[in-house]
Order: sequence, then C-alpha cells, then structure tokens
Amino acid sequence: MEHHQANWGRPRNDVYGEYDFAIHNAGSHDEPTTRTLQPTVTGSSVIGIKFDKGVILAADTLASYGSLRRFVDEQRLFQVGDQTVVGISGDVSDMQNIQDTLDQLEIEANYDADGYPGPTAPSIHMYLRRLLYYQRSRMDPLWNSILVAGFKNDEPYLAYVDLLGVTYQSGCLATGFGNYLAIPLLRKLVDNDGDEKNVTYEQARKAIEEAMKVLFYRDGRATDTYHVAVITKEAGVQIEKTKCENMSWKFASQIKGFGTQKE
Amino acid sequence: MPIEHSFNPYGDSSGGSTLAIAGKDFAILAGDTRHSTGYSIDSRNESQIHSVGDGLLVSPNGFSADARAFVDDVHNDIIWYHHKHNKKLAISSCARSIMHTLYRRRFFPYYVSPILVGIEPDGTGAVYSFDPVGSYEREASRAAGHASELLVPFLDNQVRKANQVDPETGKPLAQHDLDLETALQLVKDAFAGAAERRIQVGDWLEIAVVTKDGHKVERYPLRRD
Amino acid sequence: MFLTRSEYDRGVSTFSPEGRLFQVEYSLEAIKLGSTAIGIKTSEGVLLGVEKRVTSNLLETSSIEKIDEIDRHIGCAMSGLTADARTMIDHARVESTSHTFNFDEAISVESVTQSVCDLALRFGEAGEGEEQVMSRPFGVALLIAGVDERGPQLYHTEPTGTFYHYEAKAIGSGSEGAQAELLQHYHSGITLAEAEMLMLRVLKQVMEEKLEAKNVQLAKVTKENGFHIYTQDEMAEVVERLGATGDEEEPGLRQ
Repeated sequence: MEHHQANWGRPRNDVYGEYDFAIHNAGSHDEPTTRTLQPTVTGSSVIGIKFDKGVILAADTLASYGSLRRFVDEQRLFQVGDQTVVGISGDVSDMQNIQDTLDQLEIEANYDADGYPGPTAPSIHMYLRRLLYYQRSRMDPLWNSILVAGFKNDEPYLAYVDLLGVTYQSGCLATGFGNYLAIPLLRKLVDNDGDEKNVTYEQARKAIEEAMKVLFYRDGRATDTYHVAVITKEAGVQIEKTKCENMSWKFASQIKGFGTQKE
Repeated sequence: MPIEHSFNPYGDSSGGSTLAIAGKDFAILAGDTRHSTGYSIDSRNESQIHSVGDGLLVSPNGFSADARAFVDDVHNDIIWYHHKHNKKLAISSCARSIMHTLYRRRFFPYYVSPILVGIEPDGTGAVYSFDPVGSYEREASRAAGHASELLVPFLDNQVRKANQVDPETGKPLAQHDLDLETALQLVKDAFAGAAERRIQVGDWLEIAVVTKDGHKVERYPLRRD
Repeated sequence: MFLTRSEYDRGVSTFSPEGRLFQVEYSLEAIKLGSTAIGIKTSEGVLLGVEKRVTSNLLETSSIEKIDEIDRHIGCAMSGLTADARTMIDHARVESTSHTFNFDEAISVESVTQSVCDLALRFGEAGEGEEQVMSRPFGVALLIAGVDERGPQLYHTEPTGTFYHYEAKAIGSGSEGAQAELLQHYHSGITLAEAEMLMLRVLKQVMEEKLEAKNVQLAKVTKENGFHIYTQDEMAEVVERLGATGDEEEPGLRQ
C-alpha cells in the first residue's frame, strides 16, 4: 500500500495519468517551497456600537478551520484593565498571541502602579496599532482585525485596528462580514459622531442582537452563540454569553443552498 | 513554476482628499473626514489634518497605516528638534526633515504624498508638497489624495490663473495672491465638486486656516452618500 | 599638594572623598599653560584673537593655527593642548554640516557648542556598546564665536563639559589679567573697529613678546561675510592702527 502522504488517496496513475505537480508547488523538488501567509483557524465578525453611557461589543463563539466548524466555544472578547474590552477576529492563534501580550501588559502595569488605574482603551488601542503595524512592516503580520472599546476622558470610545496597522474610530464599527451586514443596521442608530448621545442601552442592545442574528443568517462562518460585552462607567465591564433569539428562517425556502429543495 | 503567495503590506484604506493654498499672510489646509477601504466607508469622522507643532499642519494623503506612522514621525522629529535646539522649527527646515523621513524609507516607502502648510519666517503663507520618497518643492497650491486629479486642474485655473485671459486686453491673466475670502470659497467649491464625483470624498470638510497667530479649523457638511 | 591628592588623581572615573575628579581639574590647569586667546562680542559681529608664541625666528608663523573655521558662520579660538581641539572641531564641523543637511538651515552657535561639550565628557571607560573617544579629558578650552538668528554669539567651553555665554572672554596663560582688562573696558555699544584695538591692547599687555603683526592672529565672524581670518595685510593694518593711536593712553576705548 502506498502510504506516502503526497500519493495516498490520489487518483491512480494507470487510470488517470500522472498528477501534474505544476499546479501546486508541494511536490516540485527543484523549486523552493514558498510558504503562504494566510490565516488557518479563524473567528468571524466582531461588531460594536456606542450608546449614551458606554459601548457594546459582540462576537460569536465559533472558530472555523476553513469551512469546518472546528471550535464552537471560543471567547473572542477580552477584558483588559477595568474599563476596556478588546474584540478580535481573524486568525485564532494570532488572537491568542495578542491575548497573551495584553495579559502580560496588564500584569506589568499592575506591578508598576499598584492600585492605580490600569491601561485605558486609547492606550491599549495605540499599543495594538504599533504592534500590528510593526509586524506588518516585518512582513510577518498578526492576521487579525480588532475592535477596542472603553472610555476616553469619560466619553465612550470605540476604535478599529487591523493586520496592516490601519486604524479608525466611529460611533459603530465592525470587522469582516460585519462591515457589510451589521454596519448598515448599526448606522441607523449612530451615523454621525455624537449621535450615540441620543441612543439608550436598550436601543443599542437591540441593534446588536439584530445584527448578530443577520450575521448568523448570512455569514457562513458565523454561529448563533455569541458573547456580548457591555462597558459602562457605573458597572465597568460585563461579558455574557447569549444566543440569537426569535429567528425566522422563512426566507430560506426562497434561496438556493438552504436545506432540501427541488429545482 | 511554484505558485507564489506573498503578503502585501500596503492596503487601500485611506482618507479622501486634501488641498492647500498659500496666501500672502495665511495658508489653508483643507480635507474631508471620510475614511474608506474599497467601497466601504470605515468612518465619517477621521481628520486628515494634523497639527505637528510650531504652527505647522500636515496632511499625509495615502495609505492610512503609513499615514499615521508618518505623522507620528514628523511630530516626534519636531519635539526632538525643540529638545536639541530650543527654538521653533522653521517650515523650510521641517520640509527638509520630512524629506529625510520619507527618503529613509526609500526601499520600503511610506505610501503617502504629504502636504505641509505653515507660515515662513518672512510672514508669507507656505505650502510644501512631497512625493512618497521625499522629492519636495514649495508651491502656491497643491491637492492630493483620491480627488487630486479633479482638484489640481481647478487650482491651476483659479489660483495660478492658467488658461485665463483678460476679456478686455486678450492677454493672459497674471497670478496674484488670493485674499482669504476668495481662497475659502475656492476650497468649499472644490470639495463640493470632489464629493460629487469621488466616492472616497465626503461627509465633512475641515478647513484649517494658518496665520502667524496659529491655526483655526472650521467644519462644513459634504454629501454623505 | 600633590602628596595629599596622589591617591585619587590617577583614575578619571574615581571621585575623591571630597567629591572631586582631579584629572578633570588638572585639565583646567593645562589651559592655564596655553597661549592667551580672547573673544569680544560686538553688535556688528564677534572678534577672536590669539597670541602666537613664536619660539624661533626660523619658525614659519603661519603654521601656528589657533583659530579655525567650524562653518561659514561659526569659528573658534583655542587655548591649551591645541591638538585636542582638532577632535572637537572635527566633531563640530560634522554636527554643523549634518544639521544643514537635515534641516536646510545654519546650525545655531549654542547647538554647536552643546555638541562639542557632549563630546568633552566621553572619556574614561566606555559603557556597554558605547564607543570610547578619549582615555582622558580634553586639555583645551575653546572660544566659539558665531552669528545666528539670535545675532552675534560668543561661547566658552571647558574640558569639564560646561559652557558659558560671554560678551567678552579671555582664556589661557594671560587670562586673569586680560579678563580684568576686558571687564574694565568692554561696553555693549563697542564697534568692531574698537574691539580690534581693545583686543590688541589687551593681548599686548599680557604677552611676553613684543606684539607684532606676525605673533598675533585675529579673526571675525560677521552676519554679512561669515567667518574670516585676517590676512597678513589686514593684520598689518590693525597693528599699524594700534601704533598710530598710541598705546600709552586709551584712545578708542570709551569708559
């Protein structure tokens, strides 16, 4: 039996002819093997919105291996310091690396300033911006898109940073498919800077729940279980796990690919 | 042949456009606040106009990750100049310093086309423009970013009076310093046009006016679609 | 005196129990052995002057160079171990040209002075990853003269790495008497021509040899022409002018 990993399971040569190694580089020996830089196990969208007294962040619990639902109970929202949450999408191993770095950062901050307030959302965002920009400049990126939520001078703060070191701030933000599916829903509430002052927690929470539902409907790499982080001045950070509710799949019968259908 | 994949460190995330006009005793730097990636509007409120100290304003214009890193560099260079020389950095010296900041990265450039605006020691308004690797010159006006192809010919015509003739004499109009009122109106018109034709330009227009006493920023709405 | 110090005056990195670094203090003594150098600031520019000790009639006096250019707008006069000044002036020249390269402007006189003084303290044992420059302190003091955006400037640097801003300053063997003379006769309204006479008069008083055009050297830094070392003809002219005004009284010197 042919056990070699490059040959096992392939179509038989005597039936189908020689495999053309030129179409992928794994088998060619006279050429150097080049590594592809790409994420492997990935988390999908992170979404966030400001409201009058704080910020809400949400990210589902799925970590996919390509199209495989590989890990179904991953947490992708992390509390850093007293009043900041970092939500990470993209490569999960890079996410865990960033998580370790942020934990270390917080420990160091506690050593240095015992009892004093830990790092703030803007400082954590700046740190991540420098980290991700540094890695991209070394051509060895951390393959993630990240939202940082918290407070800046007692005002709600929400900022984005990605694998290229690109950053921006807005009243509502999303990574990945959230950009196309969640942002239009969230911008109904907070379109302009300052609009969040007229948005209550209940309104913002409802918009987040709707957005997560739409993401589960339409994003093939999303799941219906997700974490929600609520950050307020009064209560600090509260992270809970929840599920999409009141879903309607009636639309599915109209669309190819959902369930069993006839032509 | 192996199939090669490589990481592209540059992206298309950026601000819209910025525009600068130098006057006799003032200078204007204006830019919209839309930040976009491809067809997505990332933010409606990311300022492109950065005050780097000593009455100098910079707009980086280009890939926004590089843009921020570049502006941080310029800012730091001015702080260190103060520590070392204990005096204000002249705009011509800042321009030279920016040239080195850009040329230092000649073989992995900052993907930016910066504009520097301020007042010269002789009191005149100044605009300096740069290419991504540091070539620079002082100009009467300059536009950069996604709508630069629309804005530059407009400035050529209205600031430099290119292709304009006096209807009485039939002779070409001479360039002369614009007054602030006219310049501000030009900027607003230019951006109204840019927002009309470029999807990357819109949301808010920020206009910074620099004089010897410092700078003031005003905001005007642009179309948001 | 030396007996009491002998335990702590060998190393440059050891303080004495009284908190003194004797090698650094001795370096100041080296300057007191040097020929006299004087700087005078006027509103028109800064004047530098040095005495040349012509030890032999066979010596080419033009080979005694104690005034040197740093940049077009900055020059300096030295006293002490003048060979040490080469290192400092080279450093100042590099700093000055690189500033023009980096900022498209002339460096300020204070910045050049500061950079030279930074160098002055890089002696002793080199730190980790640090390049060692000198095993001992410099044995030379400089008078750095220049014109920048703040107008004419005169600085005095010491081997200790400190520097001072002066209106008029004398260094070297005759500095004590010369400084007293400067203190008495300097006034802020002095012209460059008056400063030339004051300079020569003071040098003449503190020099052992008779003052001639070939045993003194003057240089000036003005806004218009930058740094300029007096030619032989120009030296002859000022020395002649000194003779004409008479040196017993104090013409050209206002009280």
